[in-house]
Amino acid sequence: MKWSLILEIAKALMLARRKQTLIAAIGVMFSITMFVALLGFMNGLNTMLDGLVLNRTPHIRFYNEIKPNPRQPIDQSSEFQNSLNIIRSIKPSTSRLAIHNSTSIIQSLEEDPRVLGVSPKISAQVFFNVGTIDLTGIINGIEVEKEAELFAFTDYVTSGNYEDLNQINTIILGKGAADRMMADIGDVIQATTAQGNRIQLKVVGYYQSGLGDFDNVNSYASLTTVQKMLGEAPSYITDIQVKLIDFNMAPAMAKELAGIFQIDADDIQTVNAQFETGTQIRTLISYAVGITLLVVSGFGIYNILNMMIYEKLDTIAILKATGFNATDVNRIFITIALTIGVVGGVFGLVFGFLAGLGIDQVPFETDALPTIKTFPVDYNPKYYIIGGVFSLITTYFAGFFPARKASGIDPVEIIRGK
Amino acid sequence: MVVLEAQNVDKFFYNPTETQVLKGVSFKVNRGEFVSVVGKSGCGKSTLLYILSTMDTDYKGELYIDNELITGKPQNYLAHLRNEKIGFVFQFHYLLNEFSVLENVMIPGLKLGKLSRQELEHRAMEKLKIFDMQDHALKKANQLSGGQKQRVAVARALINDPLLIMGDEPTGNLDKKNSDIVFEEFKKLASEFGQTMLIVTHDQEFAEGTDRIIEMEDGRVIKQ
Repeated sequence: MKWSLILEIAKALMLARRKQTLIAAIGVMFSITMFVALLGFMNGLNTMLDGLVLNRTPHIRFYNEIKPNPRQPIDQSSEFQNSLNIIRSIKPSTSRLAIHNSTSIIQSLEEDPRVLGVSPKISAQVFFNVGTIDLTGIINGIEVEKEAELFAFTDYVTSGNYEDLNQINTIILGKGAADRMMADIGDVIQATTAQGNRIQLKVVGYYQSGLGDFDNVNSYASLTTVQKMLGEAPSYITDIQVKLIDFNMAPAMAKELAGIFQIDADDIQTVNAQFETGTQIRTLISYAVGITLLVVSGFGIYNILNMMIYEKLDTIAILKATGFNATDVNRIFITIALTIGVVGGVFGLVFGFLAGLGIDQVPFETDALPTIKTFPVDYNPKYYIIGGVFSLITTYFAGFFPARKASGIDPVEIIRGK
Repeated sequence: MVVLEAQNVDKFFYNPTETQVLKGVSFKVNRGEFVSVVGKSGCGKSTLLYILSTMDTDYKGELYIDNELITGKPQNYLAHLRNEKIGFVFQFHYLLNEFSVLENVMIPGLKLGKLSRQELEHRAMEKLKIFDMQDHALKKANQLSGGQKQRVAVARALINDPLLIMGDEPTGNLDKKNSDIVFEEFKKLASEFGQTMLIVTHDQEFAEGTDRIIEMEDGRVIKQ
């Protein structure tokens, strides 16, 4: 059977019912537009919200936890090692916060092929002296370039230049902390460490993560500044932050490396489990809404094809009487359905993309999100492919039953019925 | 040379109760014959025609077309057979309103797919010329009068040079004048082209102009 004839007949039938065909195609177009725009917008938001935390969170963090020594002397004595020993009022041992042998740990991590990058860090508790008041805070000593490269540090420095941090005795203050201290860029502030050392630091910028509590407490300085402030050697580091190539490997690697380095390790999944759940549920909801839209438009096509078949019973009967078989008639109506699906789908994808561009232009400014100026939209081709495939699948099924009905029509009944 | 042969065809309707519509109908149609089937309304002549046309397959007995047993063949085979060997003219012209007159005539030919589009177009024009309809070739089917439509329908029946043309009261829905024109054309087909035709009619005048009359009554052939 020649497809050209089937296409010709399908085209003639569609043109005979131009308005309905157009409405059906617009239905598909509208649902695909909504599907693509909705998913793009939803996932743009998801990525941004997750990024708020996940971008800045190392995939694995190595640190020394302050805790009692698990190997108490009594357990090691030959007399008591097989008995149940209870020690009351146990205290943490005088273990150091600093990571022992940090240089060689960093070196071996950097040689690991699974690791994207390593960034050392020092967390130091300080008091900011503002007049007679002391404000508590944390100064994070960071390696500026690595932090910028791995953890998008620059995105969150809202004013000032992050590179100024490489100069000694400079600080980028958390926005909340800066507001409370009324410190402008260029001002010099004074901080006291827990050990009692006083230091003067020049403010070179503000840091705003979008999480208010975090910004009230956290400030950033270079690794050397903090080491000097604490009076420690250049090898003094309290945290090693690792970014992996595939962050799904984090839990297994954290366990493995913690054992090798004899150190505590946290992985991103354990620390931020709730974010992934939220993302999954939001994605699920947007897919559900999008697919519902498509199914509704599928019913529209089903209706219109059914109507067309009732109107064109004579045509179908005559086609069958003159030698068209059931398969041909079936193909004609499936062709109609798929044409509606393809045309509606293509326009839907185009309009969906345009809708995405439109949403992308809508201003969206909030103090919590310093880097975001407009609504975020994800243009991942995945959504366009899913939308396109679904438009074909739904229209095919919408056409399937009417086409089967049409192909089963007995021409004798129609012709006799006159 | 026998073109169509029916042997002991029985047909039952089961709705609402079992009724036998055809009772052991047997006859032959030879090549080049112009045969009419007459009978009162309800005598089963249309039912017989649908069985002979291969569209109705729910019957008992045997049917031969072109010396080939047709009874029990699959639907797709029958569809192809109708396309190639049988031309139809119905009481209601049944043209496709979505297409032009020329396309209507061409469609069964396109379906058969033996000739190219250009050849078919040429051929369809020739068939339309037989019935003096060539000037209307590019009109839509619904722009024609009833008589004109029926002439186009006859042209369409001829496009694949069928072995046999079947008509179900082809003049039944026409006024006297148009009816005469269509009848003249059937006669012309018979005399000039030697076309085999089997026409069901209750128009006595029409029947008398044919080579042979098969008369039916109450589901039986009573006179050949």
